[in-house]
Amino acid sequence: MHLSDRVTGLFLALLGSLAFWGGSRLPAVPGQDVGPAAFPMAIGGGLVICGVLIAAGIGHSFEAKDTAEDDQAPGLARWLGRLGWLAAFLPPVLLIGYVLVVDTLGFLLTAAIMLLVSARALGASWAMTIGVMLIAPPVVHLAFGKLLRVPLPDGLLAAPW
Amino acid sequence: MNPILEAFTMVATTEVAIAVLASAVYGMVIGALPGLTATMATALLVPITFYLSPIAAVATIITSSAMAIFSGDIPGCLMRIPGTPASAAYTDEAYAMTRKGEAELALGTSLWFSAVGGIVGTVALMIMAPALAEMALSFSTFEYFWLSLLGLMCATLVARSSPIKAIAAALLGLLVACVGIENPGGVPRFTFGSTDLLGGIEALPALVGVFAVSEIMRALVSPLPPRIPDRKLGSILRGQWGLTRRFQKQMWRGNVIGVLIGALPGAGADIAAWVAYATSKRFSKEPEKFGTGHPEGLVESGAANNSALAGGWVPALLFGIPGDTITAIAIGVLYMKGLNPGPTLFTEKASSMYALYIIFILANVLMIPLGIIMIRLSRHVLKAPRAVAMPLILLLCAVGAFAIGNNPFAIVLVAVFGVIGYMMERNGYPVAALVLGIVMGTMVEQNLVSSLIKSDGEILPFFERPISSGLAALTISALMWPVAVWVIRRLRHAEPAR
Repeated sequence: MHLSDRVTGLFLALLGSLAFWGGSRLPAVPGQDVGPAAFPMAIGGGLVICGVLIAAGIGHSFEAKDTAEDDQAPGLARWLGRLGWLAAFLPPVLLIGYVLVVDTLGFLLTAAIMLLVSARALGASWAMTIGVMLIAPPVVHLAFGKLLRVPLPDGLLAAPW
Repeated sequence: MNPILEAFTMVATTEVAIAVLASAVYGMVIGALPGLTATMATALLVPITFYLSPIAAVATIITSSAMAIFSGDIPGCLMRIPGTPASAAYTDEAYAMTRKGEAELALGTSLWFSAVGGIVGTVALMIMAPALAEMALSFSTFEYFWLSLLGLMCATLVARSSPIKAIAAALLGLLVACVGIENPGGVPRFTFGSTDLLGGIEALPALVGVFAVSEIMRALVSPLPPRIPDRKLGSILRGQWGLTRRFQKQMWRGNVIGVLIGALPGAGADIAAWVAYATSKRFSKEPEKFGTGHPEGLVESGAANNSALAGGWVPALLFGIPGDTITAIAIGVLYMKGLNPGPTLFTEKASSMYALYIIFILANVLMIPLGIIMIRLSRHVLKAPRAVAMPLILLLCAVGAFAIGNNPFAIVLVAVFGVIGYMMERNGYPVAALVLGIVMGTMVEQNLVSSLIKSDGEILPFFERPISSGLAALTISALMWPVAVWVIRRLRHAEPAR
């Protein structure tokens, strides 16, 4: 998603001023001049300056031309049409979804759903999607859950090992 | 026991052998798949390293990154798509050779000079690091402050983007590092009442998000790579010795450029390759042949990107300042495994250091046979559909982040940093600078605050010690450099107008 320099610059300036303000409210260390406030305030100040310069378009001449295109992507992006750029945000949504449901559904089911949605969104055929859905979750569970002893939740469907 | 002998016994274990072999195959495959980078390969390995011995853990990182940087050349040669950004500089050249029917020569050149570059880089690391360690022992917080700041400035200088955006990205990284209670007052800072944020934002979930998730996000809105043409390949290494003799000077220059750029904080294999390719063209006797399938630039930049890998370890081992994004991850692993970076590492843990050198050499020697196998298999590996590879990586991001501390919050961080990385990249903000800021934030702050306490809040002592003032001068010139370039450009543009 491409935003104008004015938008990103002003966002950074806002973030910087919030950091400056938030930093200034931190309690000082008794008997010392420099405390936890100094660093965030310095960074916040720097971000405000950078943000304003970026919004003003300074330094733009150093940038390489953006060659990326948001078109001809298969799967979800094509299906969404003009809103195709939204497809990019599927992976973080899936990750948050994973956190929310993994304890209830268990690792095997959650992983399979995650693979189903992301593979189809990337334009995989049904045969490929079902193959990866059936094979990958048990293999990952075997590697991480069994061998590396990561406590992956069982939920509705426990692994047989 | 003699430390060198001890190092050999540390390396000669079944665990290390399996770790090196497995990570070599892993690195080769990830590097060859377009869109999956060496940094991403390293970041996804970290959860596995928790369960390995210190030497085996570091060995997996060294081996997989070296292999990935080489195998990134394979799709570049065959399909004109760089497998990793480090191959992008000479992809057109390599593909032009393939079109001329010299695919074997192009692949062989990449393989041979990658291995040579890796070995020369290691030798440079072996010579440079102990010498610099002597010097580093006399450093105080003032020097460390300037050094870490210089590292951040270098990262912004070499970024192929607006210097102001790069500085903003580094500041953003430093701001991320502010979160948590690890600060001079020990008070919760920017935690917004969340207990998960009290310990700060760990670098690893941030790295996985920025490098892996953002790549998957990009795949969802970019067209499919073209299919790989079927072709039989002849002997891979034939003619390489001839090229080595013919382009000896270029090879050495590429190696030196690689080591130096690698050692520069924040600049890694990709930038080394760009600079080496440009230098090669600039000093070539036949610059007109560049871009038409001429191996000269391939020799120089192929050597540079692999020697940069070893160069990146110099500041990482000595100062805990990452030389590139891969060592930014490796530093975390070093700390976790009790190999805390610093000059004393070379005196107290000398045998471990020698063991690392041995693994570097081993990995680069192993690269040649494995590389040949990989090239032969590339037709099949490159057919792996993106629509299946990317979902698997996404699953591994989730499981890997969770495995770091068995805390689901890490997965949330991965998602958040995926969005941050994606948005930054699309809008011209270099993510490497952000990563460096996150990794170095605590170090910059600690050294700044202790220096300020020592100097009673005065600024002058920051410039009083000789090395400190030298580093300060370098940092300030790095900051002023873009301004100078801008002024010069302005003057040049103004002249013809007159």
